[in-house]
Amino acid sequence: MLKVENVKKAFGAATVLDGVNLTVSPGEVVSILGSSGSGKSTLIRCINGLEKLNGGRIVIDDFDVAKPKELAEARKRSATVFQLFNLYPHMTTLQNIALAPVEVLKRPRAEVEQEARALLASVGLSDKVDAYPAHLSGGQRQRVGICRALAMKPRYLLLDEVTSALDPEMTAEVLAILAKLAREGTTMLFVTHEVDFARQISNRIVFLDKGVLLVDLPTKKFFAASGGLAQPRIAQFLSKMKKD
Amino acid sequence: MRLDLTILAPYLGFLGQGAALTAVICLLSLAGAVVLGMLVAIARTSQTVWIRRLAFIYVDVFRNIPFIVQLFFFYYGLPEIGIYIDAITTGVIALSIAGGAYASDAIRSGILAIDNGILEAAEVSGLSKRVTFTRIVLPIALRTSVRPLGSVLINMILTSSILSTITVNELTGQAKIVASDTFRPFEVYAVLLVVYAALTWLVSIGISRLHKRLNRDLASEAA
Repeated sequence: MLKVENVKKAFGAATVLDGVNLTVSPGEVVSILGSSGSGKSTLIRCINGLEKLNGGRIVIDDFDVAKPKELAEARKRSATVFQLFNLYPHMTTLQNIALAPVEVLKRPRAEVEQEARALLASVGLSDKVDAYPAHLSGGQRQRVGICRALAMKPRYLLLDEVTSALDPEMTAEVLAILAKLAREGTTMLFVTHEVDFARQISNRIVFLDKGVLLVDLPTKKFFAASGGLAQPRIAQFLSKMKKD
Repeated sequence: MRLDLTILAPYLGFLGQGAALTAVICLLSLAGAVVLGMLVAIARTSQTVWIRRLAFIYVDVFRNIPFIVQLFFFYYGLPEIGIYIDAITTGVIALSIAGGAYASDAIRSGILAIDNGILEAAEVSGLSKRVTFTRIVLPIALRTSVRPLGSVLINMILTSSILSTITVNELTGQAKIVASDTFRPFEVYAVLLVVYAALTWLVSIGISRLHKRLNRDLASEAA
């Protein structure tokens, strides 16, 4: 289980997360919605240990990310897909995917590479095994980013606005892969602006506003007039997203 | 005065030996400078203050002292405290240390230019600092540092001529011998001018090609 308990994070005088609580159970897909600056990406960065907490704690399968000795174990259980892909530019797609399983999990290279090829095939990139990131489109790069995360066989997949840097066609490519992962039961914590997609694939939706977790509701209830929509801030956000 | 290059014909092999020694000294010194430059570049990006300061002092000191003074210190000064090193080794060490100060700048710029997102991706996937440095940071930094490191090599080729002042008979040292043998300094040094210009021109072409080759996969063609 992934537990976020009363997490606080500030950058200087600016409070970005203010007492956030959240639990993600294996098999769940939880989407985090909220306007820009609401703290969504910071929450993901706190979960994967890129940001130090100012208060509270985050535990991934009993491993506390704030404790250096436990962080390595916590990171073996979660994997992050980034908005700007962050692929290693000097490595081929295969090398990008195989590096961490070989170096961190100490798995045999041949076995890892075989799995990496299968992963690339599953996202329609079997012909790009030896391609470098610079020779791929944005959508293809993000699919490689997803494969790189999945190669670690994570229990929790953290997705940080993974379609924000893509055009609509490439966004559709990536969302199709994520929908497939959701159907296969991959546990995902998904920061997004894709409200309709979040509605389709999520079990629960969390709404952050100015660092405060406003609601954490099952998807149906979130979009119900008596549920999430009863909150003026959420109604305003959703109506603005529809207009955009 | 008449320019008569034929008087140099009997000395071509002799000058060739000098050119070969220049090449060997420069390649060894480049290797030394790159290794030293890498270590200093790491030290300059270290989180430990005293390591960072030490590295900055090294760079400042060796960039701000004339090379000939450094060379004389190593060759004539160190024996006074019981350290004897032969002339060629002294030349390689002095060029490596002086070149290392410039190489560290080139490599440090390469390290600092790496997108932070790439380092974060390595960190969250659990890669150790050693693996991140050897498999990600260094390969990218060296690729982007090829051109400035090439300038260090060219500067090294030019500076290596000073080694003739400590009895190293590299290209300039051999040329001095030929000039005193033939009493024709005009022809000898005219040829030397051309040889050095050609040598550095060829090296700069080689560096451009190497840079292009190493970075061809980093350049974006589609996005």
